[in-house]
Formats: sequence, structure tokens, C-alpha cells
Amino acid sequence: MKYLLLSTALTLGAAPAMAETFKWASTTDPQTMDPHAVNSAPVLGFLNNVYEGLVRRGKDMAVEGALAERWEPLGADGWRFHLRQGVTFHDGSTFDADDVLFSYERASSESADTASWFSPVSEVRVVDDYTIDFLTNAPNPLFPSSIANFMIMDRSWAEANESVVPAKDVETFATRNTNGTGAFQMVERQPGLKTVLEPFDGWWGEVEHNITRAEFTPIQNSATAVAALLSGEVDLINPVPIQDAERLGASGAVNVIRGIEARVIMLGFGHEADTLKYGANAGDPNPFRDARVREAVAKAVNVPAILQTIMRGNAEPASQLVSPAMNGFSAANDRRPAFDIEGAKALLADAGYADGFGFGLKCPNDRYLNDEAVCQAVTSMLAQIGLDVELDTMPVSNYWPELRADNYDMYLLGWSPGTFDHEHPVRFLVTTPNAEKKLGSWNFGGFSNARVDELLPMIQSEIDPAARQAMVDEVTAIYQSEHTYVPLYVQPLVWGTQANVSVVQRPDNFFILRWVTKG
Amino acid sequence: MALYILRRVLQSFFVLLAVGLVAFSMFRFVGDPVDNLLGQERTQADIERLRDVLGLNDPFIVQYWNFLKDAVQGDLGVSFRQGRPVMDIFIERLPATLELALISAIFAVVVGVVLGVYTALKPKGWLTNLILTVSLVGVSLPTFLIGILLIYVFAVELGWLPSFGRGETVQIGWWTTGLLTGSGLKALILPAITLGLYQMTLIMRLVRSEMTEVLGSDYIRFARARGLTDRSIHFRHAIKNTLIPVITITGLQLGSIIAFAIITETVFQWPGVGLLFIDSVRFVDIPVMASYLMMISVMFVAINLIVDILYVIIDPRLRAGENT
Amino acid sequence: MTRMHAFLSSDFFWKFKRSPVAIVSFTVAMILILSAVFAPLIAPHDPFNPGSLNLMNGFSKPMEPNQFTGDTFWLGTDDQGRDVFSTILYGMRISLFVGVASVAFALVLGVSLGLLAAMAGGRTDAIIMRLADIQLSFPAILIAMLVFGIAKGITPVHLREEMAIWVLIISIGLSDWVQFARVVRGSAMVERQKEYVEAAILIGRGPIAIAVRHILPNIVASVLVIATISLALAIIAEATLSFLGVGAPPTQPSLGTLIRIGQGYLFSGEWWILFFPAGTLLALALSVNLLGDWLRNVLNPKLD
Repeated sequence: MKYLLLSTALTLGAAPAMAETFKWASTTDPQTMDPHAVNSAPVLGFLNNVYEGLVRRGKDMAVEGALAERWEPLGADGWRFHLRQGVTFHDGSTFDADDVLFSYERASSESADTASWFSPVSEVRVVDDYTIDFLTNAPNPLFPSSIANFMIMDRSWAEANESVVPAKDVETFATRNTNGTGAFQMVERQPGLKTVLEPFDGWWGEVEHNITRAEFTPIQNSATAVAALLSGEVDLINPVPIQDAERLGASGAVNVIRGIEARVIMLGFGHEADTLKYGANAGDPNPFRDARVREAVAKAVNVPAILQTIMRGNAEPASQLVSPAMNGFSAANDRRPAFDIEGAKALLADAGYADGFGFGLKCPNDRYLNDEAVCQAVTSMLAQIGLDVELDTMPVSNYWPELRADNYDMYLLGWSPGTFDHEHPVRFLVTTPNAEKKLGSWNFGGFSNARVDELLPMIQSEIDPAARQAMVDEVTAIYQSEHTYVPLYVQPLVWGTQANVSVVQRPDNFFILRWVTKG
Repeated sequence: MALYILRRVLQSFFVLLAVGLVAFSMFRFVGDPVDNLLGQERTQADIERLRDVLGLNDPFIVQYWNFLKDAVQGDLGVSFRQGRPVMDIFIERLPATLELALISAIFAVVVGVVLGVYTALKPKGWLTNLILTVSLVGVSLPTFLIGILLIYVFAVELGWLPSFGRGETVQIGWWTTGLLTGSGLKALILPAITLGLYQMTLIMRLVRSEMTEVLGSDYIRFARARGLTDRSIHFRHAIKNTLIPVITITGLQLGSIIAFAIITETVFQWPGVGLLFIDSVRFVDIPVMASYLMMISVMFVAINLIVDILYVIIDPRLRAGENT
Repeated sequence: MTRMHAFLSSDFFWKFKRSPVAIVSFTVAMILILSAVFAPLIAPHDPFNPGSLNLMNGFSKPMEPNQFTGDTFWLGTDDQGRDVFSTILYGMRISLFVGVASVAFALVLGVSLGLLAAMAGGRTDAIIMRLADIQLSFPAILIAMLVFGIAKGITPVHLREEMAIWVLIISIGLSDWVQFARVVRGSAMVERQKEYVEAAILIGRGPIAIAVRHILPNIVASVLVIATISLALAIIAEATLSFLGVGAPPTQPSLGTLIRIGQGYLFSGEWWILFFPAGTLLALALSVNLLGDWLRNVLNPKLD
């Protein structure tokens, strides 16, 4: 009975005996099929199955060749990519360096959301049909890994279909149609309902999966998604609500796959604000300007208890703004303040707040796993040291505008480094905000430290890994001793699959179909 | 009569304008769409540029005027989230909602009237008490919980019915229907019950109360005295006279079935306009929100209009009243 | 004393004594309402005081000592370590308050506007009924969001938490008044045509006197039916709004918020987080509904 949907799908596909239709569900539908229009994880994760970049990330996140077979630095001037030959797009046209140049122009155009990837690039030169140079303003050791999600589109297809530039305010042909070089091609797209992929026979790589058809459905309500997995209507759901993981795994009917995401959850403060804006002490001078008060918060939050109960042992505590899996993780600074109520009270007394004070905590309620519950727990933990927290939770569509307008005393933030490198959160969260240089654009509190600002460009252009790590360690030590943020934990990844399905889970939470086997 | 209808249509038109105005004025409270459209590497300049492209920097009156101007020409704008014309999206999604609403309404009216009449005619029976009590259990829990419990029992534990979606659909012109396939019909059962339960109870209680009242009235007693059969009294006179309030409420409920479909569609991942609307609220997709509200308003106003006209037709005494 | 005596010997009380459904539902409703009202005296914990919560008490099973702290809770604890029993009592207070206040608001608004429309007729009638159309065009969730958004814009930030409850009351009340107004108007227009009302007009009674003396008594039954259903529905509407993210704040949860939180644990084995609040809501709504049914039968002698 429960395989009814499955069996009808099988009869529809012109499938041989080995045919395996794979169905998966996630909370968010990729909003477009255009790889350059929106720089968001649901879009890039999905399109990684259809389009390919010059390089890609393997099962262990290591950068490996995709459409480029190999690459080398041009001294300090940039990078040369040697392209793979004999690759065709899904429509049969041939891939060459001109398509890379076109994709670069498209992805770095003003209306593209991916333009920031190319801000270090000064020029792109086609050397021959299968060689292309990306010249950079300054030495850029991380450039190849920073463009792992830069997907290559066919120039002739885009031109023929009037999709030369990506757009958000009108529909282009590329919004609902694809023509990549990836292992799967899209055969049906019903936005918000269903997207169907089938293997691309002409793919250059070695096939590891046994899928003949794959259907993606967004399911927003997590209880419905769990029900669909339990009833066998889908083969995989992402995410599994954390509270359900243990019981689902124990039931034997489904597999629960756990991992650590790249995202670190932290508390942020108003560093520049003169006064508190919320709670009993609204209007009084802002105590969070004092590092001792921020440290007191760090000591008062019982992270192990949060991980034990709300996260059910699925998450790891975080000592810094990146997880240990990231490049540039500062092993030398892998300590977070221990839970210590007396110590926290002493720090508050030291700073002149022996009786505590009241303030407002802003928190999203639909952005991170159990975000609202974590903020509630933080609220009751801070109450133990005399801090009277007024908690205000809201959907994320209201949340970012509030943070941008500085409407908080303290806030919750999650950060996933797009480049998988420690430099990324330093650039966005710790460096002094500077709109012109595109620095510190998520540093809402306006934290500013001259040494950090000085070190960032040096980190960005340092070729020698040891020297680079030393500088990253120094920055880490600064923001740790300043308690610029209070890192709480690394968000867990929990997927659920049918027992007969095997998949690979990467920390970027991308679901890669070509590693799926079923049966 | 014609004048009355003309005046009502004109009034309805102003209602629509007012709805749109209120809707547009509230959008700035729902949130800011640009954050969902830009990745984490966006700069303040990107935000400003996108706001400009989307026309979000205009005063809301101007945004409303632009929306109306285009809407009159059948252009509802482009969805921020999907980057596609809103009209196309609605045409894809509307059949799912209408089929669900229709089936729920049929369920609610048929079961509601039958049970209502039965419980009115047999006010002392044990079955009546059972029906009245059980039906109250159904409306004493929130819709979303009933939906989730139904999924838990019938999809997860028993495996009889699907937990989400529409099943297989058949395309007839632009209309997709789930009514012609086995899996489509099966997929309808749980959402339709979830959605119709509340209306069913309401209609049942109303029919029962009106019917009881009519049965106690003088002219039914008179009819009985004249020796008319029970059957004729019940079905020719009594039911006919309970119809006015039933029509009113049923008509009004039709509209709220479509509005309440928002919750049912969310729980069952039913691919209709309600789910689309919840999505658009989540992503602050203003063109979709505005169009949905206008569409719902048109529907409500039309239903109200029809109910009012039926009112006048059924009860001629009201005609004079309307014209003074 | 005499008044008490008069009540005890009244027709009304006599009928009450003879109806087991009425006695049971009245008793259940009174127990629930009283325990909500006296929650601070009954509840073993104060769930609204974040300082009193210990996260390590989270997910304690009913009647079993917690594996870390050894504390025992009658009905277990939720994800925050809040005692479910105490939280239900406090949550019911909020649910009842929201329910009663929003129905009162809707009733006063709806009955006055409905009567006004029927009595005044003409343009006033048209405006009110079109207002009702506008109102009906907005699903309750939208009204809640609209009211919420506007309230957020105009209230000082430190009042927002207290404001949430009033926003709920106004949103639910606003989405409910039309029912009252339409039924009252419909009945009033029929009554108005009747001879006795026309006679009253002839002898020079003012419209307000006519509305109060002649029309209101005739619509009490319909209004009571709606108000009964409305009270239970208002409590449930609050729960639904909470599911959509615009309900009572999680730090001061209503029954609806508790159910919304609890439904996330349906598959995880912590059944008590959903079961007890949902059971309480069911008992409350059901007893109010049954009591309303009985009241309607008794107060409307025409029906016997």
C-alpha cells in the first residue's frame, strides 16, 4: 500500500529492472534553478547535482578537480586552470574555456548574487580552448576553493534563451530550466512542489549511484516530514527534528545520519551602543561595552546542559567562530569558558553590576535548529546570575531588519563560513564595518579592533600556511579575550533515510545525489 | 431588484479596494524580503540596489497603485521568491485548493445537514447524544492537531493513507485534478476531513437548532393538526424553513473553508494557494501575498453577494426592507 | 439568603439538578476554571519565572525522578525543564482570559453593529455590512499579523511582551464579531417586520428602546449559541495562531502554545508534553460547549 506512489512512478519511467526512484524532502524549495541568481545553500546545494564548477568538494570537503583537471598559481598574480576535455552539456553542446569566461561574466555581473566571490579578481583571460587564467589583485591562496560553487553555464544555450544575465525581478529561461554538465539533468520543475532529476548519460565522471530517477519535494512542517519518512513515502528527509532522531534511529526501520554542520551558533552584543534599549534598565548605560560583562555571560551559559537536553547530545560545544572541521581552525585556542556561576557573578560585581540588570535578547524562531528553545534556556540561565532578560523571538524575515536597525541589546547568530575557512567569519563578523571595502557587513554590534583590521588583509594574501595560521591564531586570541561573541555550539546535521539507502553527508549540508545508492 | 444587485456590486468593488489598501499597508510589518533574496555575502549596497529594483523604496500608496494598475490588466506582478509571474503560479496552485475546499464543503454540508436533521427529529435518542458529544470533541481541538493526529494514525501507524501531497494528478487543460486517480482520491481523504470537520459541526448544530425551533412553531403544529404526514411536515415545511440561516452560514463558511485551508495545506503539504501564501509570508513575497489577499477577497465578496441575493429571493419580506 | 433560596427553588436549578450532562460539564468546567484562577496557589512551580528553571530537568517523565537531578514531576517536564502541571495551570489562565475577553469583545461589537445595521437600515446598514465583508475577507491569521504589526509599531518596546496577549484578544475578537452581527441583523430584520414591533414603533418607542425591549430578547438564543461555540473556538483559535507563529510568547505560554510546542514531540516519545495540554484543552472546550448546549435548551423555553 505505502509503495503505491513509488510503483506508479516506476511504471511511468521507461525503467529497466534495476530502476530505482529516489525521493527526498527538505524544508525549503530551491527558489530558482539559476546558479548565479541567488547565493543560498538550498539553491547551490541542489544545483550542485545539475551544474558543475571548475573545482568541487569531495566527500571529505577537500577541493578536487571537476571541470578543471588541474590548476596552478601564476606566481602572485592569480591562478591558471586547465580544463577537462570532452565534456558536454546536457543539451549536447561542448564545454570549453569560452563557457567559463561567459559564466564568470554572468556570475560577477551586477544582478548576480555571487559577485562577491570574484571581488579579488581583476581579469579573466582565455589562453586557449582548454586553458583559462583568473588574475587577482593580490596573492590569493584560497581562490580555487572559494569558487567551488561557481557553476559553469553554456554560453550558446544562455544566449539562445535570452538568459545572459541572472535576474530576480523577472523570470528568465534559466529560472526554471537548466543546462549543466553535472551527473543529473532536470526533467521536470514545479516550483514549490516537485523537481525531478534523471541521470545524464553523457556525464564525464564515474557513476557511483544506482538511481534512475530522483524526485525532490519540499515539506515545511517537520512532523509531516517525519510521518512521510516513517510511512515510506520518501527515502530521505533533511533535517530530522533533533528530538526525533534517537527514537527514529532506534526503531530500525529508518537510518539516522548525524554529522556536524559548518555553522557555529553564538551570542552577539551591541559593542557601540551607548545605552540599553530593552528591559528593566532601558536607557541606562550599556554594560555590554565592558568585556567583563560579556565574559560573565559566557560563563553563565551552561552549554553542556543545552547540548544534553535541547540538542540531545547531537551537537559539539564551540570555542571559536568556526568548527574544528574548517580550514584555519585555531587549535591553540580550543578552549571555551567553563560554566561557572560564581565566577560570572564575581565578574559582574567587578564591573559594578553586583545586583544584575535587565536587558533584551533578540532571537529568531525559524532560522536555526531549536533556536527559540536555546534562547529560552539562555534566558533562564542568565536569570541565575541576576540578569533579567526580556526575550523577543520572531521569524527570520523580521529578524535581520531588526538587527540591521540595531534593535537589540544581545542577539543570537549562526554563521556558516561559505569558504570553509576561518578568514570568512573574521572578515564578516569581527573586522570593523566598512561598506566601501565590503568588510564587517554582519558585525552588527560594531566591534572594532585595530590589530584585527591590520591582520585580515595579511591573512588573505599569505601563501605560507604556518605563517597564516599564526596570524589566524592571533586574531582568535583577540576576539576570545575580548569576548566579542560568545560561541555556543556547532549546529548538528541530522538526516533520516530508509534503511536500504546509503548517502554521504557533508558538513555543508549539501545533498549530493551521485553518492546515493538504494536497495 | 436589478438596482439592488447593481448597488451591491458597486459596494463590493470598494470593499476590494479597501482590502488591498489595508493589505499593502501591513506588508512593511511582515518583514523585509531582501534578506531572503540575498546570500550572506551581501553588502548594504546590494540591499539598497535590490530594494530599488523591486520598487520597495516607493511609498506603499505608490506600490499599491502600481499593483492595482497592473492587476486590472491581468498582471499580478512577479513573485520575489520564484521570480515568475504570480498569475502563472496561481493557475498552477488554484485547482488543488478548490478541489480540497469543494470536497470538504460537500462533506460538511451533507454530513452536517443529515446529522442535524436526524438529531432534531430524535432529540431524546441515545444516538443523538452520542453524535452531539462526539462532534464536539472534533471542534474542541485545534485543526492542526487533528491533522497531525490523523496523519499519525492513518499514515504512520496504519499505513492506509498518504501523509502529504496530492498523489497522482491528471492534467485537463490548465486544470490539474486529483479526482480521477486512486492515489489522488486517497490523498484527499485526510485533508478534506480535517478541513471540513469544524464546518460540519457548525452546520449540524445550526440545522438542529433551527429545525427544532421550526418544529415547535405554530404553523407546523397547524400543519400537524391538518393531518399532514410527518414525512411531509419534516421534509416539505420544516427543512424549507430552516434554510435561511443555513444558507447564510454555509455561504459564509465556504469562504472560510478556503481561508482555513491555509492550516490544513501546511500540515498536509497540500500544494494549493494556502500553502503558497504561508510560504510567501515566510519569505515576504509581497506580490504573492497581495494577490492572494485580493483573490480571497474577491471570493468572499462574491459569496456574500450571492448569499444576500438568495436571502432576498427566499424571503420576499426582506425585499422591502432593503429598498428603504 | 432569600435570593439564594429563590435560586435553589427556581425552575433553572431544578432542571440543572436533573441533567447529568449539565452537572458533569459544569463541575469539570468549574474545576478547570478555578484551578486556572488560583494557579499561583496550586501550582508547585512558577513556570513564568525563568530563574527558577533548571534545564537539566528537561524531558522528565511523569511521576519518575529525573535522571540527572532526581526531581520528580507529576506530569513530567518540557524541553526547558518546566513542570508540565504548573505550566498547564498557568497556560490555562492565559487561554481562558484570551477566550473570554475576545468573545466579550466580539459579542459587544457584533451585537451593537448588527442591531444598528438592522434598525438604522439604508446607508448605515450598507456601510456596516460592507465592513463585515472586509473583515471576512481577512483570514484570522492575517488580522492577527496586521494587528500585531501595527501594535508593534506603536507600542513602546518594553510593553511588547504584555501587549502580545491583548493583540491576540483583539485579533480573535475582530475575526469573530461578524458572525454575531450577521445573525443579529438577520433576526432583527425579521423581527422588525412583526406586528408587535410595528406596534411599538406606532406608540412612539425610540429605536434603542425597541432594540433592547423587543428585539434583543428574541435573539438571545442565537447569540448564546454563537457565543458558546465562540468561547471554545476562541481558545482553539489562539492555539491555531500559535501554530502559525503569532500566538502567546513561549516564555508565557498559553495552552495553545504548549500544544504547538508539544506537537514537535509526537514522534520522539515525550508524549506527555503534548498529551496533557491537549487533554486539558479538550476537557475545557468540551465542557464549555456542552454547558452552552444545555443552557440554550433551558433558556429558550420555546424549544420544549
